[in-house]
Amino acid sequence: MFEEASEVFDNMFKSSFPLTFIVFIPAVLILVSPLPAEAAHEFTVYRMQQYDLQGQPYGTRNAILNTEARTVEAEVLSRRCVIMRLADFSYDKYQKALRQSAGAVVIILPKNMSAIPQDIVQQFMELEPEMLAMETIVPVYFAEEDDELLSIYTQTLTSSSSQGSLSAAEVLLHTATANGFQMVTSGAQSKAVSDWAITSLEGRLTGVGGEDLPTIVVVAHYDTFGVAPWLSYGADSNGSGVSMLLELARLFSKLYTYKRTHAAYNLLFFVSGGGKFNYQGTKRWLEDNLDHTDSSLLQDNVAFVLCLDTLGNSDSLYLHVSKPPKEGTPQYFLLKELETVVASQHPEVKFSMVHKKINLADDMLAWEHERFGIRRLPAFTLSHLPSHRSAQRSSIMDVRSVSPSSRHGAGEPPAGPHVDVSKLSRNAKVVAESLARVIYNLTEKGASGDLQIFTEQMQVQEEHLSAVVDWLTAQPRAAQLVDKDSSIVSTLEYHLSRYLKDVKRHYVKADKRDPEFVFYDQLKQTMNAYRVKPAIFDLLLALCIAAYLGMMYLAIQNFGLLYSVVRRITQPKVKVH
Amino acid sequence: MTLFHFGNCFALAYFPYFITYKCSGLSEYNAFWRCVQAGATYLFVQLCKMLFLATFFPTWEGGAGAYDFVGEFMKSTVDLADLLGLHLVMSRNAGKGEYKIMVAAMGWATAELVMSRFLPLWVGARGIEFDWKYIQMSFDSNISLVHYIAMAAVVWMFTRYDLPKTFRLPVTVLLALCVYKAFLIELFVHVFMLGSWTVLLVKAVLTGAVSLCSLFLFVTLVHSN
Repeated sequence: MFEEASEVFDNMFKSSFPLTFIVFIPAVLILVSPLPAEAAHEFTVYRMQQYDLQGQPYGTRNAILNTEARTVEAEVLSRRCVIMRLADFSYDKYQKALRQSAGAVVIILPKNMSAIPQDIVQQFMELEPEMLAMETIVPVYFAEEDDELLSIYTQTLTSSSSQGSLSAAEVLLHTATANGFQMVTSGAQSKAVSDWAITSLEGRLTGVGGEDLPTIVVVAHYDTFGVAPWLSYGADSNGSGVSMLLELARLFSKLYTYKRTHAAYNLLFFVSGGGKFNYQGTKRWLEDNLDHTDSSLLQDNVAFVLCLDTLGNSDSLYLHVSKPPKEGTPQYFLLKELETVVASQHPEVKFSMVHKKINLADDMLAWEHERFGIRRLPAFTLSHLPSHRSAQRSSIMDVRSVSPSSRHGAGEPPAGPHVDVSKLSRNAKVVAESLARVIYNLTEKGASGDLQIFTEQMQVQEEHLSAVVDWLTAQPRAAQLVDKDSSIVSTLEYHLSRYLKDVKRHYVKADKRDPEFVFYDQLKQTMNAYRVKPAIFDLLLALCIAAYLGMMYLAIQNFGLLYSVVRRITQPKVKVH
Repeated sequence: MTLFHFGNCFALAYFPYFITYKCSGLSEYNAFWRCVQAGATYLFVQLCKMLFLATFFPTWEGGAGAYDFVGEFMKSTVDLADLLGLHLVMSRNAGKGEYKIMVAAMGWATAELVMSRFLPLWVGARGIEFDWKYIQMSFDSNISLVHYIAMAAVVWMFTRYDLPKTFRLPVTVLLALCVYKAFLIELFVHVFMLGSWTVLLVKAVLTGAVSLCSLFLFVTLVHSN
């Protein structure tokens, strides 16, 4: 057959040259055709943080993943993609995977974060900073659980755990029946993002009554942080602070529109970006205002700077200071007013001052007010957290998570950090009342402690706060994801400009030669799980096919036998005809 | 999965054809060109069928999961053109009955194999993803070789002038079975919700039965006169 075929082809090519093209070009096209991406399962994965801060690398340094999946139970993990579920996740297992030089780690998060048991949430929150603290060479991904992914996990688990003490036959059977999964990410290697601008926003309410009025600065950072940027919704930290800042802006802008209530204080509101990266936005803002311009509200008479950080829950309030305020200063007044308001209007709140000196040797500043403290501006942070080390401030568990039951007050509150809007609005009221008492100097004017200014039309609107928190937590606001065109920034700007004057943007870009912070891309990717079989399976299959073909050959060779059998059977019939 | 897997599927799909060609003695008859011609006829007939289907059978837009029995039946009826095509091939070849049947069936089946199985195999079996469907496809091609040989035999018997009256009915029934086999199997799948391996088994059994019947008829016919 081949001789004939080659003759035919020879004649064909000699006689007509174009025919060669017709035959060969499709052949070449087929040979070079790319392989299709037809995967068993395709899902979105979120990569762990990757950033450099002050030249120090943090998080995972890799994004490319193309290895076979295993669970931690498997004996050999090297160059494998280790998949774990959050419920079974522990630092030991994570470390074990990394020590055995696993190719990657994929952590499967439950679909409903608010349904996770309390202890797991706590444990994971503690682990997040530890995972980020060291540099990880291999990619670490987070995926949201779905049925397909769960089934992949279960199949990998059974195949991973059953290896070891099996007979050869069982292993053979196992290779034929069990499925392996090849995990492949579609994206490229992560690169440093150049020229990333962190946006901060400022707006002001100008007081009346003379030159050189004292200025009160209210600050909250809007960005979030978690082990994976695309999963950092940061409801409590610092969605609550931003929503409170907007509410304060709204309330005081009302007061400042009436001549009788227009106070002799300038109010400066600042929504800072890059807060989780050592308060980069605040740092630049201070530099711009103090070093580069001649006249700025920050340069002259600043009464105090009030930073709002994580205020959406709990019945305690802490005023974090780096230097206890001296008597007679405006900070001292605010401290006293906060104490008065809490004691007389909201006795259920435990209010106290926490003193912590600025540690300049530390890589990271503890609270936002320290940025101001370094520049010798009187500042403090109000938070419901007793310590800046609290894991809640940088966790992907910090989500809005309002289940229908907890919204109506019934049912158990979610396990992890979350925003309780009633408490947030109470805290907002405390802050607003205290600020008003400072601004209008009410205590010296003899007003009693339970005098409430923000009531009736002026009251703190819980729905408003709730809507703002909902909006803020509708998408992740990690500093790497919020660029200057993002809807978060423009909506914030719009909100601020509704209440405030002179709303301005401030951009921070890292220095080109000696960048203070570097962000990396490829934080969200599509991962494919391909069903694969081990190489031994192919060999086995080849043997089976060879045996089958041999049988076919024999059958066709001896077709005459069947023919004669059939003939013998039909013979009598033929005679009847 | 890998090139090796593709090799496996390829061997499974193509070697039976090669063995059949070699062992049936077609190679001794210098029948390669005739097989190629049969394949060309296959292409032509498929083109005509496609044109016909595209013109007269608008795409069925029923709800998902619904099965359009009448439409599918009508579509299978178009496969009657295959019979015509096979007849055309056989009528243009002079020779003994077996030879004509084998040439027509081999050309026809090989053309189908190359046209409809090679590309999916090349593209699919080489991909990362492992799926049994490529092995199944290769088995299916073996079944369809038997199917086309039987079909060619039945067509050959049907077009003979000296076909005894008693044979007319069984041959016609077999012919109908050949044409509507695909439709019947699809019906089975739909009614009994069969898995892919079971479908393959059903196909093999049905094809085996049809070919055995046609073999009986053929043997009887050939040796009766």
